[in-house]
Amino acid sequence: MPRFSAGSYPAALSLVAVAALALSACSGGTSASGSAAGKTLVVDTSFNLKTADPGREFEPTGQIVDKALYETLLTFKGGDVTKPVPGLASSYEQSKDGRTLTLHLRTGAKFADGSAVTADDVVFSLQRVVALKGNPSFLLDGVTVTKTDASTVTLVSKKANPALPFILPNPALGILSAKTVQAHGGTATSADAAEKYLNTKSAGSGPYTLTSFNTNTQVVLAKNPKYTGSDKPTYDKIVIRNVQAPTQKLNVQRGDSQIALDLTSDQVGGLSGGLKVDSGASSDVIFLLLNQNTKVSGTTANAKFAEAVRKGIDYKSLLSLAGTGSVQSAGIIPSTFLGALPASQATARDLAGAKAALKASGIAKPSVTLGYASDLTVDGLSLQTLAERVQAQLKEVGITVTLAPAPTTTELDNYRNAKEQLGLWYWGPDYPDPSDYLAFLPGNLVGLRAGWQAGADPALTALGDKAATTIGDDARKALYEQIQTRLNASGPFIPLMQPSRNTVSAASVTGVAYNPVWTIDVAALGAK
Amino acid sequence: MSPRWVPSKGAGGKSTGVEGAGGGDGDRLPARRPTGRRLPGRRLLARHPLARFLLRRTATAVLLALGVTLVTFILTNLVPGDPAAANLGQRAIGDPAIVAQFRHHYGLDKPLPVQYVTYLGNLLHGDLGESQQSHQPVSTDLSTAVPATLELAGAAIVVSLIVGVAFGVVAALRRDRFTDQLLRVVSLLGVSVPTFWLALLAFYVFFYRLGWAPGSGRLDPGMTAPPDVTGLYTVDAALAGQWPVFWSAAGHLALPALVLTAYTVGLLTRFTRSAVLEVLNQDYVRAARAKGLPGRTVLFQYVLRAALVPVITVAGLAFGALLSGTVLVESIFAWPGLGAYAYRSATTLDLPAVMGVGLVVGLVYLTVNLAVDVLYGVIDPRVRVQ
Repeated sequence: MPRFSAGSYPAALSLVAVAALALSACSGGTSASGSAAGKTLVVDTSFNLKTADPGREFEPTGQIVDKALYETLLTFKGGDVTKPVPGLASSYEQSKDGRTLTLHLRTGAKFADGSAVTADDVVFSLQRVVALKGNPSFLLDGVTVTKTDASTVTLVSKKANPALPFILPNPALGILSAKTVQAHGGTATSADAAEKYLNTKSAGSGPYTLTSFNTNTQVVLAKNPKYTGSDKPTYDKIVIRNVQAPTQKLNVQRGDSQIALDLTSDQVGGLSGGLKVDSGASSDVIFLLLNQNTKVSGTTANAKFAEAVRKGIDYKSLLSLAGTGSVQSAGIIPSTFLGALPASQATARDLAGAKAALKASGIAKPSVTLGYASDLTVDGLSLQTLAERVQAQLKEVGITVTLAPAPTTTELDNYRNAKEQLGLWYWGPDYPDPSDYLAFLPGNLVGLRAGWQAGADPALTALGDKAATTIGDDARKALYEQIQTRLNASGPFIPLMQPSRNTVSAASVTGVAYNPVWTIDVAALGAK
Repeated sequence: MSPRWVPSKGAGGKSTGVEGAGGGDGDRLPARRPTGRRLPGRRLLARHPLARFLLRRTATAVLLALGVTLVTFILTNLVPGDPAAANLGQRAIGDPAIVAQFRHHYGLDKPLPVQYVTYLGNLLHGDLGESQQSHQPVSTDLSTAVPATLELAGAAIVVSLIVGVAFGVVAALRRDRFTDQLLRVVSLLGVSVPTFWLALLAFYVFFYRLGWAPGSGRLDPGMTAPPDVTGLYTVDAALAGQWPVFWSAAGHLALPALVLTAYTVGLLTRFTRSAVLEVLNQDYVRAARAKGLPGRTVLFQYVLRAALVPVITVAGLAFGALLSGTVLVESIFAWPGLGAYAYRSATTLDLPAVMGVGLVVGLVYLTVNLAVDVLYGVIDPRVRVQ
């Protein structure tokens, strides 16, 4: 074989890798701009973002962004969603019949362009949300918005709507400058064409303005110097980046970011570097549904079988999958909302009772199929893992559960068309009011997904109708507790848990508070 | 990849220069032969077989791209699931008016053949439709995602070619010696280690533990992207003279690109080694050595040139794979490229975006294949067009 000189190649080539890493090092490693001293705050989250247009957005990341860009008539302070507080409206009154809500606008409020916020802007913004027929349009279903005078607007609902003050803080109902939006193709009709503009520039009065917006990479916000609200933002610039959870952990530990929003309990367990972890129960409720349509499954429609499933689940064991901060859902309404059942009323496992109920059902060797989205995680908890645990627990009762995993897009179709025998899903609140959970009653949105037709439980329907129109927290609380008690006894839904959610922040960041509507209010964050 | 573009004598333009009239058909149909003055374009094609070859391949590429759109369209519509359910909220999906508006807006209320024909019609005008996820034209989304991946894959393939070919040559020259054994282990590790695992490990070690690499993304947080010319941040920053941005972009690029090179370096090392070994045993190489030519001349002008043909084939395929298959690496490094966009589009049944990604990936492979075929001729005169 011919011989050639090649002795110097390996050493020379190994320099390529070293040079590349040196190049990396040249760029500075951890970012200096991510510090409080630089007044830039970097927030890492896994994006669920489609648009910055308040009339069209209803995704978690969109809520974070629009909360910073737009003021709403009412808002919530920190994580307390039990009491709406003034926003652009300094005060409000609700009529005794619950149909009319009168709001008085704060004087001196200005948009970022310096123009005054008027009642006309409010009317335009809210009417636009309804007209666009987008994801958030349902928030104002049956609500008519009118201008009473220059500083007063009136919202009239077709039916009593005690939840409206809890709905109005939603960032999707942020108030835009009508003049600006109209100048860029905006109308309060379905012909509106302002989304493109609103994805490049904001038109609100919030503490921040939009610098750049990309649904795949990052959103950059700059402090609004003309913000007229009471709590001025601390950071000059906010960078919200699209980063997956494992990378979020390393970024926040290294100081490349100051906030990580999507870490699981397992991931926050080994955190170091003086980071702060705010853990608690999420407002998402994971539940099992049993289809009541005998054509789909005669087994799951059997009341005694449902009782057997309910008693056969080991709820505490399921919580061990979700980690610290998760709680068992006593009812379908999350534990932090008005009307939530006390933890003492949560169903406990009763294996003997489950077997007895199964025997009473008259179904020998029952076998059912459990449909779920195998690629879906709820606050970091995989539904696949949860389904496997449920399967094992019900096997102890004598119920054979066949798992039927499918991609979310496929299984959503089965769920929404009421094709599942057993289903494993979750419900995230649209707004922090118990009326949002009336969807689980017979004939309503989720009830129908369980094949639970209107008229299937007239007493429960009557309770729901009454709760929907009753005014007064105490009376409402009592009604929603009754509804859930009845649901737990004979409904087709079995609430399992509220998984944990974690917000990790650098030691320098203050004021971190989880809010079930907008996750985090970046304008409320401070710096040490 | 065989040298498919070597023309037959009949089609070589020797007698008529008219491709459609060449070969046997032309002989049987003399009336179709051009009798008057040839058109300039035809004369050009007759004199430049490469131009004819490129024209034919481009025409084929158009047909293949059309096939890609059809297959992608059929497959995306075969997937069980409703785009409306996947894209509308839990409340909105319960409102028939909202669902109807969604379907109408995206043309989903039309029969499938009409949808496809409409898509093709729009495609002729450069309109790839509107993404259901970003609410933007798919072309706009792709104009940011494709350059991001191109920059990453381009850097990776350049480094891979330099390192992989060099490693392969060294391994062949040092056959069965320690260096060869070492490079065998290195290359096998490169092709065996899962890229996503390597990405996680590299990010952990070089960013988190050592602090040598910057964090995720294409630029440092808060740094503004350079003026968009090519979409490649390093190039655009250099063009604009924004050197801090350039160094940031280059630094962010280095680690993910190095991770991606692991597999392709391993692959190219093995292929180069075997190709060089095969050539080394050829008589003309022995003859060159016997004539007393310097080893470097024999290596570069006799051995390497002949050995590069299979290497170019593998490199082309690897580049195509890098452009279309960097999902996990992009996810770990928060790199907003085509892989991340494709994943998001597929998991949300964003049909226009899926179609756009399918078309781009198809075009990438077609272009890379064409480039590789042309390179065959550049490297090896034996397969050059007559």
